[in-house]
Amino acid sequence: MLHIGNEYIPLCSGTTRRSFLQLGATAMSGLTLANLFKLQAAGAVDEKKAKIRNCITLFLVGSPGQHDTWDMKPDAPEDIRGKFKPISTSVPGVQICEHFPRMAKVMDRVALIRSLHYNTGSSHENGQRWMMTGHDFNEANKQPHMGSVISRVFGAKGALPASIVLPVPIGNTGTSTPHGQEAAYLGSAHAPFFLGNDPARADFKVADLEAPKGQTEFRVEARRKLLKEIDDLQRQVETSSTLARDTAYARAFNLLTNPETKKAFDLNDEPAKLRDRYGRNTFGQSCLMARRLIERGSRFVTVNQFDTVFGISCWDMHADGGSLNNTYADYEHVLCPQFDLAFTALLEDLQQRGLLEETVIAVISEFGRTPKINARGGRDHYPSAWTNFLAGGPIRGGRVIGSTDKNGAAPHDRPVTPPQVVASIYQAMGIDLETTMLPGPGGRPIRFIEAEPIRELFA
Amino acid sequence: MDQKLEGTPKATLQLAGRKITRSDITNHWGTRLQWRVSRDGKEIATPICGPELTFEHADKTPGKYEVVLQQFHYVSYAKDKDGKFTASKYINISEPVSYTI
Repeated sequence: MLHIGNEYIPLCSGTTRRSFLQLGATAMSGLTLANLFKLQAAGAVDEKKAKIRNCITLFLVGSPGQHDTWDMKPDAPEDIRGKFKPISTSVPGVQICEHFPRMAKVMDRVALIRSLHYNTGSSHENGQRWMMTGHDFNEANKQPHMGSVISRVFGAKGALPASIVLPVPIGNTGTSTPHGQEAAYLGSAHAPFFLGNDPARADFKVADLEAPKGQTEFRVEARRKLLKEIDDLQRQVETSSTLARDTAYARAFNLLTNPETKKAFDLNDEPAKLRDRYGRNTFGQSCLMARRLIERGSRFVTVNQFDTVFGISCWDMHADGGSLNNTYADYEHVLCPQFDLAFTALLEDLQQRGLLEETVIAVISEFGRTPKINARGGRDHYPSAWTNFLAGGPIRGGRVIGSTDKNGAAPHDRPVTPPQVVASIYQAMGIDLETTMLPGPGGRPIRFIEAEPIRELFA
Repeated sequence: MDQKLEGTPKATLQLAGRKITRSDITNHWGTRLQWRVSRDGKEIATPICGPELTFEHADKTPGKYEVVLQQFHYVSYAKDKDGKFTASKYINISEPVSYTI
């Protein structure tokens, strides 16, 4: 049995996705196109047929250095090991940085992947695309964000978008190429919804959920009716792209007019003590909002810890004395403490609400940082080795997958690539990659990802 | 979008002998917490304040000790040529407690 998205396609017994592909995409295209529209109309997954889970992705823009966080090398020379010290965790033999004291206590629920690497360039955008789409960049064949794939395949559960990005999209991180947070060929109907504001601010409002100044909800509703009439006329020349726009319009109006949707974004509903537990900062409050959105029906929430690497305290510790002047001081006083508080709050909050089993948490970043500390006391981009981690859902915590050499410079055993992490996230969310195809460009069924999941995460 | 830390964190301290117990922190910014320990008016240590609610400074050198809980107030990442933050700094988030050895 094979299925495209959530639709089961009967095949000869024993047919795998590889042999299915060998049947030829052309022969299947008619069937797939029909399925594509049916899937789009259906909008929701049949929960009875599969154990579907949600995902919260915390994207650490700028990228922490592996030596200074989750793959410490205390026996390496001083100019490699760095200035922080390791501490023991709840998992015997596993140590992490001293500035993650809370995380150390919950390591039995976390699976570290210490042997991540790729070799196709070291720009931030390259790493963002690898980790959020599972694909290398190809201008002629842009790939969708994981959240867009989930939106396409699972559909929305309710009024909330299936995929939401908090708090804002990634902006300038150095080059003008895409960041991997687009829907690509899946169309605007499956583009992530971007919150567009800082939920930690006292005057926080969701830009897209507020009616323009001076407009009552009655007027908004009147505009929706007018838009519907225009859309009816447009349907006479309907194409798949206008269909996608219709869906985007409908989604925007649903967000604007649905009281439950608005409430999902209202952090004032949360106890002050819980808001404090996450940390009263942009990242912490975004993590709390991610939990609220998952709880209320969103399937894939991405938290961008930062939207740029320039002129702010972020993980990109070049220590260049200019606009990239992050140093150990930023790690020690701001970054590690804020991450430690928010990540553990999210983990514990989900667990206390019974949501951790059905929610995968993926903490990912673009690359690692150079083993040798540079002349200014920083570390530069290094995609040859780094650590990311998963928790929740079916992920088996308390384990370390792969390792790096004595200097944290290259995978020592069990090398892992970004597509394998993405494949693992899909599998953890309930997608059987052996039997499920994604409706690709032009409706052609394609594999979700050209990689196998990391089996040790599930064993 | 640089984060703006709003409001003011607060905690209360209770002293029993040399052992200090802190309350939960309200309006917690998430940045590093530290105990600022001074003896006879001079700062002698700034150990990290972790998840534990209690703290006891190990030093028993005679003198008057004052301990206060501080949190890092991130304003911007600007630093001087020596790498020290110029606008961001630690602020007191509790009243100090003191004892004499």
